[in-house]
Amino acid sequence: MTTETAFGQLDAAPPSRWRSLVTQETIATTVASLVVGAAVILPLIALVFNSFLVLDSSGFGTEWGLKNYRVMFQDRIIRKAFVNTLLISTGATLLATFLGVSLAWINARTNCPGRERLEPFNLIPFFLSPFVGAIAWHNLAAPKTGLLNVWAQDLFGLERHILNVDNIYGVIWVTGIFFTPLVYLFVVGSLRRMDPSLEDSARTTGAGLLRTTLTVTLPLVTPGILSGAIIVFVTSAGEFGVPFKLGAPYGWETLTTQIFTKAVGDDANHYLGASMSMTLGAITGFFIWLQQRIIAPREYTTVTGKGFRPNLIDLGRWRWAAFAYNLAYILIAVLLPLACLIVVSVHPVWEGRIILADLTTWNYQKVLFFWSPERIDSATNGILNSFILAFAGASIAMVLAIVVSYMIHRTKGFGARLLDFLCVVPIGFPGIVLAMGVLVTYIRTPIYATLWILLLGYITRFFPYGQRNVASIMLAVSEELDQSSRMAGASWLTTLRRITIPLLKPGIFAGWILLFVIFLRELSISIILYSTGTETLSVGVYYLSNYENEPLTAALAVAQSVVLLLCVYIFRRIAGREALTA
Amino acid sequence: MDRTDSAPRYLEVNGLVKYFGNDRAVDGISFGVDKGKFLTLLGPSGCGKTTTLMCIAGLHKPDAGEIGVGGTPFTSVAGRVFLPPERRDIGMVFQSYAIWPHMTVTQNVAYPLEIRKMDKAETGERVAEALRLVGLSDMAGKLATQLSGGQQQRAALARAIVFRPRLLLFDEPLSNLDLKLREQMRVELKRIQHEVGITSVYVTHDQAEALVMSDEIIVMSKGRIQQRGGPHDIYARPANRYVSNFIGVANLIEGRIARVSGPGRGEIEVSQGGQRVLLPCVLGEGLSDGSPAVLSVRPENVEALRDPDGGGPRLEGEVLQTIFLGNCLDCRVRWGDFEFKVLAPSRDRLRPGERVYLRLDPEHTLAVQP
Repeated sequence: MTTETAFGQLDAAPPSRWRSLVTQETIATTVASLVVGAAVILPLIALVFNSFLVLDSSGFGTEWGLKNYRVMFQDRIIRKAFVNTLLISTGATLLATFLGVSLAWINARTNCPGRERLEPFNLIPFFLSPFVGAIAWHNLAAPKTGLLNVWAQDLFGLERHILNVDNIYGVIWVTGIFFTPLVYLFVVGSLRRMDPSLEDSARTTGAGLLRTTLTVTLPLVTPGILSGAIIVFVTSAGEFGVPFKLGAPYGWETLTTQIFTKAVGDDANHYLGASMSMTLGAITGFFIWLQQRIIAPREYTTVTGKGFRPNLIDLGRWRWAAFAYNLAYILIAVLLPLACLIVVSVHPVWEGRIILADLTTWNYQKVLFFWSPERIDSATNGILNSFILAFAGASIAMVLAIVVSYMIHRTKGFGARLLDFLCVVPIGFPGIVLAMGVLVTYIRTPIYATLWILLLGYITRFFPYGQRNVASIMLAVSEELDQSSRMAGASWLTTLRRITIPLLKPGIFAGWILLFVIFLRELSISIILYSTGTETLSVGVYYLSNYENEPLTAALAVAQSVVLLLCVYIFRRIAGREALTA
Repeated sequence: MDRTDSAPRYLEVNGLVKYFGNDRAVDGISFGVDKGKFLTLLGPSGCGKTTTLMCIAGLHKPDAGEIGVGGTPFTSVAGRVFLPPERRDIGMVFQSYAIWPHMTVTQNVAYPLEIRKMDKAETGERVAEALRLVGLSDMAGKLATQLSGGQQQRAALARAIVFRPRLLLFDEPLSNLDLKLREQMRVELKRIQHEVGITSVYVTHDQAEALVMSDEIIVMSKGRIQQRGGPHDIYARPANRYVSNFIGVANLIEGRIARVSGPGRGEIEVSQGGQRVLLPCVLGEGLSDGSPAVLSVRPENVEALRDPDGGGPRLEGEVLQTIFLGNCLDCRVRWGDFEFKVLAPSRDRLRPGERVYLRLDPEHTLAVQP
């Protein structure tokens, strides 16, 4: 065999070495990784820097130092907020895990009547705004104006209220019931697709049903339960709306409500806000790392792709108890809050009593009719802005998600691993933390106080959710389908357009509508980044709750919930129920 | 056994190296295929055969080496040439068939022609011809998802040949089919390839497939070529222990060349559990007097006789087990510590425990490199 080149014309016309590097594929993927890298990394770097900048006594200049961190641990209010955050997250996690696992087990593995019809309702809180839930529960169970309290007083002739959600327990209660679907979704998939032979073999050893459930079934889904619990813990720690409505006004501050006051309040101090964000981000980041690296890889693969039906457990008479339990959850998490909001929204003022003679649609006219001179700008602007942001944000994020998923799962090497990591980072940081980072990064640029900065914040924080939807389908679609198009003579871009994207359509659509829903109800990023004129829907609700009255707040909250439920309905019709539980 | 390459062959692969991490998946292999021939890369999973194929296709970039077809360079690492896969004009059939589920059979097969902007009339003709060739004419309007595995396989083949590519690549295309269909498709694939006359490279781990279909076989292991040759050569004259073990069934005993008696002939000395014998054999490449070697003899070339006497040495042993296969008996015979696999005629009616004398056919007893 000769060692010299086998092809004569090679020396005659040496092709440019750069030509082979500049392909559609490399251009698109390089641009996408630079965009993702900059969007994710810049705010975090800015946050770290700003947390070490200390405002001097004049309030204008800054110097380097650790004083922000010292203040944080010396300030009585911030220290208490820190403790409250941990208490709320722990309590909400316990509540949500208990409810989520029990509901998932009832729906997936027992003969509870109507379980297939109940499941979509169990998931509804996932799509609604917890902030709206807090408003609703405030109107249900505030000491003086709570509908339930007033009813109880009238019915039993009580002097005092029986329920009070305007405290840390109320925050835990609302957060817990609203984040229950997160645990549910983590657990129900593996419960549903568990190989029945795993349980059957336990039964053949003589273990009873209950024993099998406790010793085989639940341990097998433990990693799923842990993952769900951690996500709830992290999401609760970053939740702003619920403690803002039920905690802060009554002396129960949390880290998020404190960050908020440092970002926009009268004594705004971005640097102190940055260091509080850093602390919160460090905690949540650690837990997400734990979940992603330690727990998620241990989720036992009980899926064998054989499409079997798991055994259903016959609960006997108890199945009606399970049914009642399931219904009770839907009542407290969906029906009562929504019904209460509707009731409140048609009263001119709300004092805890339904007064049929006073019913009015005036509140809706003020918050919805943007042509009316009586409109409240924060609300009507918010609706328009939120639709713009949700539509544009979901679309841009999904384009990014497609290219990034393609890079991660279709190209190998360092770039792919780095991008994979960058897609997890935003999940580790609560919206309010990331928003703080975006704020300090772009405060001196022209995008500050425009919709663009909100768009940037939304996409950075949430595009990983869209990316996961695309990636899960991309993993199921064989790479050979793409490769065979290249072999047939199609370029990378043609292959993407004619083969890859059509095959990913269900994932792209599911991701788009999920992001659309998330963006329509987004509060904790918007509350940091909005300014007059760029309010969003949830900011509108916040504004009404803070500066107007409960009926107006309830009216906008009802409008928001109706839109969200409509999206969920479309989502389920088109994407199917597996799209969510997969 | 290697043919000396003077004239360049149609497909040329030269010094191909591909790393995965620190793993040398393909370790400097070179081979060629003549126009219209059918070459098979055969080896266990992880031997580098699919990686080699992917490099030819342009779906992997090699770390060193050159690939060219018909004088056109496709890849040359030293010359910084890399033709993207879509410009190589290669038809490929994938392991999963990769029939696009969102298109009909006709749309799938017409896709390469559409990409090449062929006019409608000719596209229709070509697609119909390709579908007829693979026997799918009735299925033209069906969605890909409505096809069975075997039909998807045929559609994938039609799509790969419809644009009359310069080269046809097959990546274990039959491995997802059940046994019966697989045996039928072997013959069918070979017929179609013969009919269209496109030079083909076929990757498989199934030795039977390789023997049935190929003009030439390359046996690979750990990224290197172990042997290349026609199916008959590979089966009858394995170059080393690895190949004789991988292709078919063979009795392999470690030994030493005792004597070289003539060109390609000699005697091998083997010993097992106190038994020691000199056996006349055919000498493989690179073996000389005294060099360590492995005796390789296939079960059908061993006779189990009840009579101890006769021409040539006989190995005395005990029948351990017999399995009735209809036309013959699959026997295990112990000689020393070694268990011989022997195919004996059924009429011999050998029984476990019986004393027999093994005669190894000297024409088919090989000494190969260890």
